[in-house]
Amino acid sequence: MKKIAFKTLGCRLNQYETDALASRFHAGSYEVVDFDEQADVYVVNTCTVTNQSDQKSRQTIHQARRRNNDALVVVTGCMANNYKESLLESKSINYVVDNERKSAIYSIIEEHYRGQVPDPEGFDADVFSYETATKTFHTRSMIKIQDGCDNFCTFCIIPKVRGRAVSRPKNEILDNIRQVLGHGFREVVLTGVNIGRYDSEGTNFEQLVESILELPGDFRLRISSIEPDGFSNRFLELFDHPKLTPHLHLCLQSGSEAVLLRMRRMYTAREFRQIAETLRSRYPNFNLTTDIIVGFPGESDDEFAQTVQMAKELRFSHIHTFKYSVRSGTRAERMPAQVSEKIKNQRSEIIRKIAIESKIAYFNSMLGSTQRMLVERITDSHTARGYGEHYIPIRIENAAHLSRNQFVNVRLESIYMAEEPEVIATIID
Amino acid sequence: MKTDNLHQVISIRNLTDSAYVVRMSRRGLQFRAGQHILLGKAGSIHNREYSVYSGENDDFFEVLIKEVDEGLVSKQLKKLKPGEMVQIEGPLGFFTIPAELVNSAKFLFIGTGTGIAPFHSFVKSYPQIDYRLLHGVRFGNEAYDKMDYDAKRHILCTSGDKTGNYHGRVTKWLKENEVSPDTHCYLCGNFNMIHEAFEILEKKGVPPSNVHAEVYF
Ligand SMILES: Cc1cc2nc3c(=O)[nH]c(=O)nc-3n(C[C@H](O)[C@H](O)[C@H](O)COP(=O)(O)OP(=O)(O)OC[C@H]3O[C@@H](n4cnc5c(N)ncnc54)[C@H](O)[C@@H]3O)c2cc1C
Repeated sequence: MKKIAFKTLGCRLNQYETDALASRFHAGSYEVVDFDEQADVYVVNTCTVTNQSDQKSRQTIHQARRRNNDALVVVTGCMANNYKESLLESKSINYVVDNERKSAIYSIIEEHYRGQVPDPEGFDADVFSYETATKTFHTRSMIKIQDGCDNFCTFCIIPKVRGRAVSRPKNEILDNIRQVLGHGFREVVLTGVNIGRYDSEGTNFEQLVESILELPGDFRLRISSIEPDGFSNRFLELFDHPKLTPHLHLCLQSGSEAVLLRMRRMYTAREFRQIAETLRSRYPNFNLTTDIIVGFPGESDDEFAQTVQMAKELRFSHIHTFKYSVRSGTRAERMPAQVSEKIKNQRSEIIRKIAIESKIAYFNSMLGSTQRMLVERITDSHTARGYGEHYIPIRIENAAHLSRNQFVNVRLESIYMAEEPEVIATIID
Repeated sequence: MKTDNLHQVISIRNLTDSAYVVRMSRRGLQFRAGQHILLGKAGSIHNREYSVYSGENDDFFEVLIKEVDEGLVSKQLKKLKPGEMVQIEGPLGFFTIPAELVNSAKFLFIGTGTGIAPFHSFVKSYPQIDYRLLHGVRFGNEAYDKMDYDAKRHILCTSGDKTGNYHGRVTKWLKENEVSPDTHCYLCGNFNMIHEAFEILEKKGVPPSNVHAEVYF
């Protein structure tokens, strides 16, 4: 039996696509092994959103080659789109497969082992033809509803590497969700590049979410990362539904109106604030997490101070901080007043500190409350780990009697301090 | 090379020394007024965003471009000759008017320089639209295609001479004049104007959801 290993860099969409591929290879009699192990095939699903992700992607490709000089190394993902020519020249890589043809990797490898010389470009482009991931690395089932982006933020390379926005037909999505629920999944996570702009045959994002919530079964629905534009107030009301988890990763990027305009974001800081206030007034414990970019060209001390102010005020439980990095071919590349690395580092550190403080403050505010935890794994030392509906990471000690993929009602008791803090809970039923 | 995005140049019409309108074959490409395209010379790796200047029902495509000092693409496109090919990606963008508002709401369009382009498309596409257009330029000769607008609705603000309807920047006009809070405001062009106009409109009670912006540079 051939062994195959996967490594995913970057976003949830990449993660979904890797899961689906792994599941396909598993069904096709390959043994899916850890990336650290010796394998016959290594698939590196790359990311190119920042310089750092380029670097990590390149390192991972070299690691794969070092692990087994005879292995097939397949490179896919956004770097494969952005740097196709240079990757094709690399001796470490056997196949470069662009995002549009990623789902064909199984067929490419099969052709290879049948002694043919497959040309990845010869396979049909289809961004939705992934099989349902039954054998995944997670208990949450990600469902891809959309790909690509038409927003063209001035810093962003995504429209170039993922292409124009396309939405998957509603019926396909609902069928896919019925299937994963049939396989026993309890949590469905919607993924895509810009899911709030979902639009297929007259169905918009809110309408799609409503249809999913109407499906029968004991499951919950999580909206992953979403841009604060494209959806209406109706969407915010959908959180009344018990199946929709009270958490959004709502990308702020900057708290300065001026910077948001230069980024060509499609919302204002005022509107972002309004969304947060609406959510928090309807659902006081609502969990907001976000992304912030520091050091965008021309970002002044004052403009950064506005981001700091907003980061503090909105009590995000998690902030993913990115230091702006120039992406070739974007408008921001041509902007004057690029910010020095030193200042970017300082600003990133300031946001990181605020992020930790507000995470702990949010966790503290939730102590004593109950959560419905979905157990994701039981460690060797019998600790159950998973997430509640608010997306708080929870751990229960001495939990050998629990099992993976089980819902359990818990009370949040205290904070477990670690590099990534968690909340210790006790079972209440 | 992909050919389905190639369009033939029909004419180049110079409006001033630096501003010009490129008319191209439409080839059935649909768009909504206010959207932009990515435009470049055929075969070139360089392209830039340009708002569509023509109307939704015209059988050609037009863009209004100002040649920028030290600019790359705006200079290349100015040298185009009729018959030559350009490549278009798109249409793109959300700087559009929802269909249900076109004939029922009142609009204030504020543009600086070539930022008047999407408003030209609005007015050509929706002849019944109830609008006021504030166009900010330095000199009166930059009142691009002024005759295409209803003279009673078009307010030319000139900051460098007194040949306009108003002497001063659009933001100064905005501070001095009334805007009722139910107006749908569309701002387009230079970033500084848009930033300032946002604040002024907020002070006048226009809710953020009624203000739309398209930043050119
Ligand atoms: C959504 C969108 C729609 C646009 N629509 C139009 C349009 O309809 N008509 C139009 O003329 N332009 C429009 N632009 C601007 C256009 O895309 C280019 O930026 C402009 O033509 C300059 O390109 P360039 O290659 O010549 O200069 P570049 O080489 O890209 O830039 C050179 C320098 O000029 C500055 N600059 C860019 N635009 C201007 C300007 N208009 N005036 C002064 N300085 C400038 C840049 O900041 C840069 O520092 C639009 C931009 C966007 C984002």
